[in-house]
Amino acid sequence: MTATKTSSEGTASAPETAGLIPMNSPTYIDAANFLFTEADLLDELQYDAWLALLAEDLRYTVPLRQTRSRADQAQSVVRTMKHFDDNYLSIKARIDRLNTNSAWAEDPPSRTRRFVSNIRVYTTDVATELAVKSYLLLSRNRYEHSSMMFISGVRHDRIRRHGEGFKLVSRDVIIDQSVLGMPNLGVFL
Amino acid sequence: MKPDAFCLSDGTTLDALINTDTREVSMRVLSDAEIYNLEMDRIFGKAWIVLAHASEIPNPGDYVTRDLGQDPVIVTRDKDGRIHVSLNICPHRGMRVCTAEAGNTGIHRCNYHGWAFRSDGSFVGAPVEREKMHGDVFAKESLGLVKARVSLYGGLVFATWSHDGPTLEEFLGDVKFYYDMLFCRTDSGLEALGPPQRVLINANWKTAGEQSCVDGYHTISLHRYLLDIGQYGGIGDEVYANAPAMYGVDIGTRQGHGLRCIPPENTFSAIMGGRLDGLTPDERLKILPPPGITPNLLPQLRKHLSDEQVRLLAEAPPQAGGFFPNILWVFIYAPNAEGEFVGALGLHSFVPRGPDHFEFYTWFFVEKDAPEDTKQKMLAMSIFYMGSSSTIEQDDSDTWPHMSSNAKGPQGRKQTLKYGALVGENKPQGWPGGGFVYEGFSKDDNQWQWWLAYRDYMLAGKTS
Repeated sequence: MTATKTSSEGTASAPETAGLIPMNSPTYIDAANFLFTEADLLDELQYDAWLALLAEDLRYTVPLRQTRSRADQAQSVVRTMKHFDDNYLSIKARIDRLNTNSAWAEDPPSRTRRFVSNIRVYTTDVATELAVKSYLLLSRNRYEHSSMMFISGVRHDRIRRHGEGFKLVSRDVIIDQSVLGMPNLGVFL
Repeated sequence: MKPDAFCLSDGTTLDALINTDTREVSMRVLSDAEIYNLEMDRIFGKAWIVLAHASEIPNPGDYVTRDLGQDPVIVTRDKDGRIHVSLNICPHRGMRVCTAEAGNTGIHRCNYHGWAFRSDGSFVGAPVEREKMHGDVFAKESLGLVKARVSLYGGLVFATWSHDGPTLEEFLGDVKFYYDMLFCRTDSGLEALGPPQRVLINANWKTAGEQSCVDGYHTISLHRYLLDIGQYGGIGDEVYANAPAMYGVDIGTRQGHGLRCIPPENTFSAIMGGRLDGLTPDERLKILPPPGITPNLLPQLRKHLSDEQVRLLAEAPPQAGGFFPNILWVFIYAPNAEGEFVGALGLHSFVPRGPDHFEFYTWFFVEKDAPEDTKQKMLAMSIFYMGSSSTIEQDDSDTWPHMSSNAKGPQGRKQTLKYGALVGENKPQGWPGGGFVYEGFSKDDNQWQWWLAYRDYMLAGKTS
């Protein structure tokens, strides 16, 4: 009766090299531009435009992190318990909430900046889909606080060609905090 | 007045902080360091506090680290399956013995000088045995980790530093009748879906703690988005007329625990005005089982609960409540994005971290014997409504810090929290449970009982 099933996905693993697309390739540049565009939309509070970039079969997950010994690093990412466990409809419901006049936790809105770096793009077994790994540093400021709140993590995305651009098919964010340093995740990662 | 055990250093007496005539609480309590330090001794040093769920540490040697009040502890399961709570402080030189949040080991060895302790906290020994490095002042048997008193209820691991105070049963008192419907209703009971989410909030623990006795009224304003999107009791102005989830039965107790029992037809648009009147409890339960109960588990309810409990569970299930001083549970059902009614079972702890900070813990539960597919849906549903990213509670976590910071100014600290609107005890005829029962609109009765319990702890031992 183990209550805490865990997985080592996305952490403590050697960098993947199979299928890695060179940084000077047009595919890499397209994928990086997609990440920059969606970061821009979220920072500018353009939630409906961001929603339009999400595939309807979306999986959006943020597992818990725990402080574990080096020998138990595989258990540092906890997947039986999460911060987000969403699909397209639940993300849409979150955006419907933000579009009401009573989503107080983000009204007045936080000022956010999503710094996306260390982008690696991989081919996948689906010709129209790419796997993209990126680092995220999100800064968030609320009210007249002089101090900034931060969250950092690595994102494992899957994006699918759609017309001239892409849609986000899955996002799994491995965050670096066991105890979150912001009062809530009222912002998307 | 001279400072003493019941008087602060500026001459304010502790009983002046809570005005029982006008039912006001001085806002000073939401940020004052001196008051906070007294609370750590008088409340968190005395009350039973929830630290974990037994299903988090199922195997011998399993442990998690938590905090009992502001003190770090290790919650362990020993080789015989018993659960222990020990201070995570090495008696040698004060180092933290266990540095991970969870793991499995038979021996906890301090990194600093290597003193070692068993899962039950007892001292194994200090390295270089022949040199007797534990010294000749204290007997070896006396050098174990400091132990808290432990008791389990419905799988919840409670601990207290008070070894001669009330038993857990006495501490729970009248709420046990109600909470058995949630925590003790099936053969295998609840299991935690994993360790708790943890979030640091820049606010005093009581900003959230006084909600733990259930502030029904805030829902209609702070969580107004629920009404604006139309799933709860209509849209627009009809929302205030319907006042979804506002009418039910609140139950408070002298111990400060309290809960709300809410008929589901008073909450959700989808079933408001539906014909549930005249149905037997079993017919009702078949249409809408209590949150977290699946059809395969329904027959088990009658095995563990009395007829009266089953009837209450069918007609007005407990949907939110708490354990004094710092635990809030929410057992709700709600439609998910696909329109299915899914249960969400969550429990929060507001762990004090100084006068202006607390940690907001969130556990999610499922019935251990629920189908796997149900468990996955409940996880997603619970996350959507409770905890770090939740659409409801992110509004609470953005509110609490304002209250603490407002309690700092020379004017702010003199202001009061007001509990002026009471229903008054009006226990319905034939009501099966104990406690102070308030039927009708959810008013301030319950939270006022929470503050009276707070006052009892802070003034314990005062003679005049």
